[in-house]
Amino acid sequence: MVTNEETRAPLFATAERRVLVIDDEPNIRRVVKDALRPDVPRVLEARSGSEALSIAAAERPDLIVLDLGLPDMDGIDVCRQLRAWTTAPILVLSARDSETEKTALLDAGADDYVTKPFGPAEFRARVRAQLRRAGMARVPGGDEPLRVGDLTIDIARRTVTRGEATVHLTPTEWGLLIAFVKSAGKTITHQQLFRAVWGAAHGDAQQYLRVYVAHLRRKIEPVPYEPKYIVTEPGVGYRFEPEG
Amino acid sequence: MEPSRAEPRLSPYGVPQDAPPTDTPHVVVRWVVWLGVLAVITVVMLALRPQLDKAHVALGFLLVVLGGSAAGGRALGVALAVLAFILFNYLFLTPYYTFIIGDPLDWLVLAAFLTTGVVAAQLLDRAQERAEIARQRAIEVERLAALGSETLNAGRAEDALLAIAEVIRSTIGVDCCEVLVPRGTPPQLTLLTRTGPCSDGAGAPADVTSPWSLAVWVAEKRAVAAERADGTKWIGGGDHSDELLRWPAEDTEIRTLLAPLIVRDRTVGVLRVSNAGPFSLDSGREQFLRALSFYAALGVERVQLAAEAERAEAFRQADALKSALVAGVSHDLRTPLTTIKALAHSLGEAGSAEARAIEEEADRLNRLVADLLDLSRLNAGAMPLRPEINAAEDLVGAALRRVGGAIDPKRIRVTAGTASGNGDPVLLGRFDFVQSLRALVNLLENADKYSPPGEPIDLSVTRMGEHLRFAVADRGPGVEAAETGRIFEPFYRAPGVPPDAGGAGLGLAIARRVAAEQGGDVQYEARRGGGSVFTLVLPAVDTPPNAG
Repeated sequence: MVTNEETRAPLFATAERRVLVIDDEPNIRRVVKDALRPDVPRVLEARSGSEALSIAAAERPDLIVLDLGLPDMDGIDVCRQLRAWTTAPILVLSARDSETEKTALLDAGADDYVTKPFGPAEFRARVRAQLRRAGMARVPGGDEPLRVGDLTIDIARRTVTRGEATVHLTPTEWGLLIAFVKSAGKTITHQQLFRAVWGAAHGDAQQYLRVYVAHLRRKIEPVPYEPKYIVTEPGVGYRFEPEG
Repeated sequence: MEPSRAEPRLSPYGVPQDAPPTDTPHVVVRWVVWLGVLAVITVVMLALRPQLDKAHVALGFLLVVLGGSAAGGRALGVALAVLAFILFNYLFLTPYYTFIIGDPLDWLVLAAFLTTGVVAAQLLDRAQERAEIARQRAIEVERLAALGSETLNAGRAEDALLAIAEVIRSTIGVDCCEVLVPRGTPPQLTLLTRTGPCSDGAGAPADVTSPWSLAVWVAEKRAVAAERADGTKWIGGGDHSDELLRWPAEDTEIRTLLAPLIVRDRTVGVLRVSNAGPFSLDSGREQFLRALSFYAALGVERVQLAAEAERAEAFRQADALKSALVAGVSHDLRTPLTTIKALAHSLGEAGSAEARAIEEEADRLNRLVADLLDLSRLNAGAMPLRPEINAAEDLVGAALRRVGGAIDPKRIRVTAGTASGNGDPVLLGRFDFVQSLRALVNLLENADKYSPPGEPIDLSVTRMGEHLRFAVADRGPGVEAAETGRIFEPFYRAPGVPPDAGGAGLGLAIARRVAAEQGGDVQYEARRGGGSVFTLVLPAVDTPPNAG
């Protein structure tokens, strides 16, 4: 679904989008720049965490691509310090497929991550999703019904229709769907999802979180074992893909 | 020890150097003095006899008896009482200077006097005896407490044990004290601590079996044993109640004494005391040795615990190092792979077939790195598993998505029984999602690798009892019966498979290890009509009553 998209015309031809790439390896910076070229004419580069923080403060980029293997700072700290003042999406490049690390990054304010080695197509798709998200309404589906494939989600009226038929959701399932829609295109950790739906409460709900999601999928996905909208990020959480 | 202190119960631990010296000349002097006092009192009272009543005389003598027994003990007291009784009768009861008693009432006075004197002497003596026992006890408690705190305070566990051995050696009064502990596999008694000049007898010190053979017996039977000076042996018999070890208390010809060291019903070692000349255990030394051997056992245990703690710390550090290494290796390998892959991809888009091959190989290298890292982490026990309640269809969905790039999605048929229909209950299991996904993906890739082109791969999920079964069936060549035991070994490759079939032969090994770690399994069976069925088995859970 991603490979065809990249040959299309650049999404943001009009806006002067700026992306900050933070990596100490010149070759990775080059690969990232090459991958961004069709969409982003101007790419800022930083070789260390401290350099990145000063450039980000001066230039206010629209998107930040952060590599974790920096010489001077822990990637999570860079992430946290950026997130303290900017809302620009942060996309993390990680060499380790450690789910705990990814979860910690997302909880520290990162929006998404790409595991090395990645293909340019995959990377470009993630960048586009983040830039699109940043340009979207604060709550998708809040102003007008959100159309996702054959689904229509109307948050104001609290209705979901699939084709012509109304989908009946339990309050828990509705809460999950709203949480997904609000962070559409962004990977949401299990913990973040749980907090969004149940608040600070504890108990059985947490261990059955994945069961509730399975029930929601049964109702909105055409094929529950091949989900198009609610995609599982193994060991981390879920990502709601409004493109389907 | 001291012949005058004839009563053994006086001191349970018989501390020799603390016993008060009671010399014979001293006793004679005391007797002479108090007999003198009795004579003086008698003379004085004789001079005043007309003015004195019988009661005054009795009281005067009684004072002497009490003073004598307080100063010189029971024997002097009783002797004074008897003498005073005779003098009372002879000199102060009418008719004087005879043993005839005129007044029958005087019998009563005399009998009362004698009884009072003897009883008083006895009571006084007993009270003193008690005080002496208490004093001895206090000294012993103090010594043991000092020993205890000394051993607990000793910086190294070995030093503490050495201190205990030294106390045993000096207290028992022998040349040598050693502690032997079992070490190695199979365990053999080896020397842990030694104090004093120890002769290893006739046997060479390095020879473990013959000089220590009695020690081995002691450790096994948990009984005391001794070697006599004439070469014969004394053994403590098969008394298995640990509290009551039998000691060779009467034997005076001991050269070497061996006792098991027991803590919490576990034999931790053997205590061995030996002397150049024969020695014996009196009850005091035996009691002391009994108590000290318990200290020695605790000392040995402490040495062992310290060694274990050191080992655990070394393991922990090695583990941390390994994790850092794994993280470093994965970063160092994957960063250049990213560049290679991306650059090859760009060239491939420009039409270079070679560049596309480079990208494919980069992907393969990346999979190999992941497999090797996973296997090393699994072997090191460093792969953290977080079993959680998951839906079976979620795992299937994630697996299909993961293999989507490499396998044509239409090739995999997810068949009925997968709970794909919305009416079926959601099948749930308790497993680590990430690692189980890895196992299932490995099975799918394996099936794709060996299945002839065009033949579909069937994936089905069923619940069977307490387990979920994810069955992956292909139409490949299957596995020969002789090979079924080996296909789960790392780096195994089926005979006749070309080396470039992809993968390092780790897929099935990792899948099985990952499943086994969380109470599941990967099973193989031949497929009816040709091919293989690999089944990932994971623990199932029931649907919660309030879910949905």
